[in-house]
Amino acid sequence: MSPLVQGIVTVILGVGGCVGYFFLSNLILDKVIFPASGPRPGRNINRANLVRPWLFLFPAMVALGLYLVYPVVGSFWRSLYNRSGDEFIGFGNYQTMFADDGFQTALFNNFLWVLVVPAAATFFGLLVAQLTDRLRWGNIAKSLIFMPMAISFVGASLIWKFVYANNADIGLINAIRDFFGADEPLDVLQLNFWNNFFLMFILVWIQTGFAMVILSAALRGIPEETIEAAIIDGANPFQIFFKIKVPQIMGTIVVVWTTITILVLKVFDIVYTMTGGNFGTEILPSYMMSYMFRDDGRATAVAFVIMIIVLPVMIWNIRQARAEMR
Amino acid sequence: MDNIAGTKSALSWVVNLSVIFLVVLWLIPTVGLLVSSFRDRDQISASGWWLSPFPVEQNFQAKAAADDATSQNGTNVIEGNLFSEGSGEVIRFGGSRNNPTANAAGETAELSKDRTLTVQQNGDFVYTSPAEIKRDPSIYYSTKTPPKFSMDNYRTIMSSSNMDLAFINTLTVTIPATIIPILIAAFAAYALAWMDFAGRGVLIAVVVGLLVVPLQLALVPLLQFHNKIGIGQSFLGIWMAHTGFGLPLAIYLLRNYMVGLPRDIIESAKVDGATDFQVFTRIVLPLSFPALASFAIFQFLWTWNDLLVAKVFLPSNSESWVMTVKIADDLLGSRGGDWGILAAAAFISIAVPLIVFFTMQRYLVRGLLAGSVK
Amino acid sequence: MKAQLLAGAAALALSAGIAQADGHQPFAVGEGDFTWDSYNEFAEKYDLAGQTVEITGAWTGNEKEKVDKVFSYFESATGATVNYSGSDSFEQDIVISARSGSAPNLAAFPQPGLAADLASQGLLTPLAEGSGAWVRDNFAAGQSWVDLGTYADADGADQLYGLFYRVDVKSLVWYSPEAFDEAGYDIPESLEELKELTDQIVEEGGTPWCIGLGSGAATGWPATDWVEEMMLRTQSPADYDAWVSNEMKFDDPKVIAAIEEFGYFARNDAYVDGGASAVANTDFRDSPAGLFSIPPKCYMHRQASFIPAFFPEGTVVGDDVDFFYFPAYAEKDLGKPVLGAGALFAITNPSEATNAFIEFLKAPISHELWMAQGGFLTPHKGVNPATYADDSLRAQGDVLLNATTFRFDASDLMPGEIGAGAFWTGMVDYTTGASAEDVAKGIQERWDAIQ
Repeated sequence: MSPLVQGIVTVILGVGGCVGYFFLSNLILDKVIFPASGPRPGRNINRANLVRPWLFLFPAMVALGLYLVYPVVGSFWRSLYNRSGDEFIGFGNYQTMFADDGFQTALFNNFLWVLVVPAAATFFGLLVAQLTDRLRWGNIAKSLIFMPMAISFVGASLIWKFVYANNADIGLINAIRDFFGADEPLDVLQLNFWNNFFLMFILVWIQTGFAMVILSAALRGIPEETIEAAIIDGANPFQIFFKIKVPQIMGTIVVVWTTITILVLKVFDIVYTMTGGNFGTEILPSYMMSYMFRDDGRATAVAFVIMIIVLPVMIWNIRQARAEMR
Repeated sequence: MDNIAGTKSALSWVVNLSVIFLVVLWLIPTVGLLVSSFRDRDQISASGWWLSPFPVEQNFQAKAAADDATSQNGTNVIEGNLFSEGSGEVIRFGGSRNNPTANAAGETAELSKDRTLTVQQNGDFVYTSPAEIKRDPSIYYSTKTPPKFSMDNYRTIMSSSNMDLAFINTLTVTIPATIIPILIAAFAAYALAWMDFAGRGVLIAVVVGLLVVPLQLALVPLLQFHNKIGIGQSFLGIWMAHTGFGLPLAIYLLRNYMVGLPRDIIESAKVDGATDFQVFTRIVLPLSFPALASFAIFQFLWTWNDLLVAKVFLPSNSESWVMTVKIADDLLGSRGGDWGILAAAAFISIAVPLIVFFTMQRYLVRGLLAGSVK
Repeated sequence: MKAQLLAGAAALALSAGIAQADGHQPFAVGEGDFTWDSYNEFAEKYDLAGQTVEITGAWTGNEKEKVDKVFSYFESATGATVNYSGSDSFEQDIVISARSGSAPNLAAFPQPGLAADLASQGLLTPLAEGSGAWVRDNFAAGQSWVDLGTYADADGADQLYGLFYRVDVKSLVWYSPEAFDEAGYDIPESLEELKELTDQIVEEGGTPWCIGLGSGAATGWPATDWVEEMMLRTQSPADYDAWVSNEMKFDDPKVIAAIEEFGYFARNDAYVDGGASAVANTDFRDSPAGLFSIPPKCYMHRQASFIPAFFPEGTVVGDDVDFFYFPAYAEKDLGKPVLGAGALFAITNPSEATNAFIEFLKAPISHELWMAQGGFLTPHKGVNPATYADDSLRAQGDVLLNATTFRFDASDLMPGEIGAGAFWTGMVDYTTGASAEDVAKGIQERWDAIQ
């Protein structure tokens, strides 16, 4: 059957299947296994409630376990072997990797990316969210700023090629420099160290929409009374923003920051397509791509380092979650 | 209500201007691409897109036909007009390739070997040479080429074989890959948000950790697995893969939203005897609708623009290509230097996500997270 | 009639345009200069009705259209269906699909090194018995083509896996005849004369060379071609072979000297359009445009025979642009070495039809069908050269035949991690200022790590 029909059938089956599973499993749990009747209803209800979370979680855990945990564990195991997979070398891959210049450059650059991009995207997102909050044409403005998110990374690379191109006839930056009298075109992507920031800005450009959307909703959710009270007390807009609004949405800011940080650790397309990792712009994901399928031991080791970098973020989030639950 | 924040007109001007500035800054690169998609490759290399509405002065080469030479007073002369079809305006001209704009229109240029060349503004030229003219002489001139915008690039792509099929394939991949993860994630998010059980903290931590798994790691093992269970490279495979890959973010975002729902509503429902399942389906799910819609948009965009997963989990024959694969593999490979075509291709693939976004954006604005929901 | 058919085929070859989506066969069986006998013999021998052959390769866009037309003749001869899909990232895709068990039946590898990698992992099936002897007899310099297609299998034994189907000649310098005429330049016959010409152009105020290495993730590969050409022109073929197999280390002074010969041209701001800093970032598809601009941004561009596909639309090879053989040193007495590359077909998932397909590739007709569409060269001795789409191709074919030494592109022969990785990035580093010694040492270290 044609894929389209297959798709429709899958959606129906999938949705129906999910709903059916959840409904039936809960039904069976409540009516059959631990019915709330009979000699000890209380104990049954308690037992049902112990089991129920696992019913809710079961499909997700299967999917996650299979599609993510299994490759991760397998990959860690693989990173302990040599490039063709037949010789156990323990942490040998990690040792050679850390000694490699290319890896060190990639690691350093990655820290830059992790520091700059989430901060910048969150900042711009918050800025736009606040500025467009009461604007009549706020929705239009927000939509326009969100638009880059709809563009694939390949499209984004192309768009920014027309900005960064090393030719005053094609690249916007060089055209502006030319207008102000610069003699020769400057290839911003070859500038030592600063080229990283030019690449980072592309990701900021894309992700600001994401941050803006979420922070905008959070701002809307702040109760009006607190703001009104502050105005009555004589606070100016800046004080309101920094002392009332920001603390109230701090949870959201953390979520946005976390999500973007994690995305930064995964995105390799921008660097890969614009410079191929040359000129000192290599970051860990693109470094990994250059080893993927050639030296899988090294590639999986890099992947593991990436995952370890996210540990602090993970721990922070767990702490937040625990604090919320109290 | 608008004035409660004390917006003086000066402040509101500043706000408006800064927003305009930001929006323009964000838009410019994309506008550049859009304009370029209507130009052809030569024009793109000749002038920047910001100059595209203006005629561009370019140099051209024309050849006079040696056969048309006549003999007048001992010299050989060729006369004619540079513009074979229609008319044009010559600004400058020259007789050598290295110096195509040596003379202004109307002057007479003295070339080597006692030859002369005169070119008028309307393109009429006179070329004289004392020696016999054996080969077609070249005349170089500059003229303003009018800006040329056309839908040619779009036409080339749309008529490229199987483009419509690729579009349908993309829809076929994205819609199930958006709906199913949301459903599974909603249940899991609720459990992690409102049900108390041992190991909850650990599970949340694991979900956050799984957010960062680089997809490339999972490709080969999972494809091997798909082959083993017999579904190989197929649409079913990619739906399952996208579900698996999209779950961590879905659970994370939905859980964060659900945690923010008012405790009292849920507690009172439980006190009234509702089971968790009923609380979930009747209260939490409807209240979470903005979050579900927002995540649906993100997941839709992600699967629509995805290239890597589609290349690995879908069959590689051209009937099964999605649009990103078709553009990246087919068009980019052979037309790598044709920026006009690439620009048009990029816009074609943006079209649907943009439409989806603009129609659904009011849900986005209602938001993914709220401090309180009334 | 013949002339019309050839002209028609030439027009087909030279026009860039919208795809003819169906497998409409451009050449009627029995007409023209083709060797239809081989087609008929083949058709009679094989009946594969109802079978499907899956093929993947790196040919996309225009090239895909041309190869699809060749495949359509296989379909009409045997009744089988051919599904060909081309991909820009073929090197990655084939590894993924071969390793996970979803390999196509056949794959057209642009790099023998990659095929060798897969063969050593047991993912390729050797060609049928007798193929080696056939290639030796039927291809010009047949033994080299056998050697290039022979790799060690998973147990270390050498087997013939690849049959070459399309060849690119690389030792070509493209130029604008008009520009040369006007300036009064002559085609240099030796590398010494080429260097003199370079200086002469600079003295007269022009820029001699256009060089561009940009290619997205593959940035740097054109520089590897330059270094290989220089290697062939400064060292013996035996040295070249030793370099390819790493018997001669990458940081050997001979290799470093070859890299610096490339740098003689590319790192000199006066010699290259845009200056040395533009070399690394200019896309290789954009760089030839300088030949055609008025005034010319450059006069010469060294590139392989496939580059006309990226010339400005309407450029006629032979009129607006032409090529000459990239000369060798007259003094070094190394003859006229020619660098080339090619695609080979290998069996990645055998079926009844795969051997039949290999037989089809041995028939002259399968080569002639692409020759007539343009952009195709072959070492097959049995083809009728009259089927070449135009004279320029025939001339390139002549370069191939007149070579005293022919060598395959080294970076395609080296292991993927070097030839499609470290060598490329090393060259980018070199063009942006690193020293040749450092770059060569880095590449050798990477190579040592994979031994």
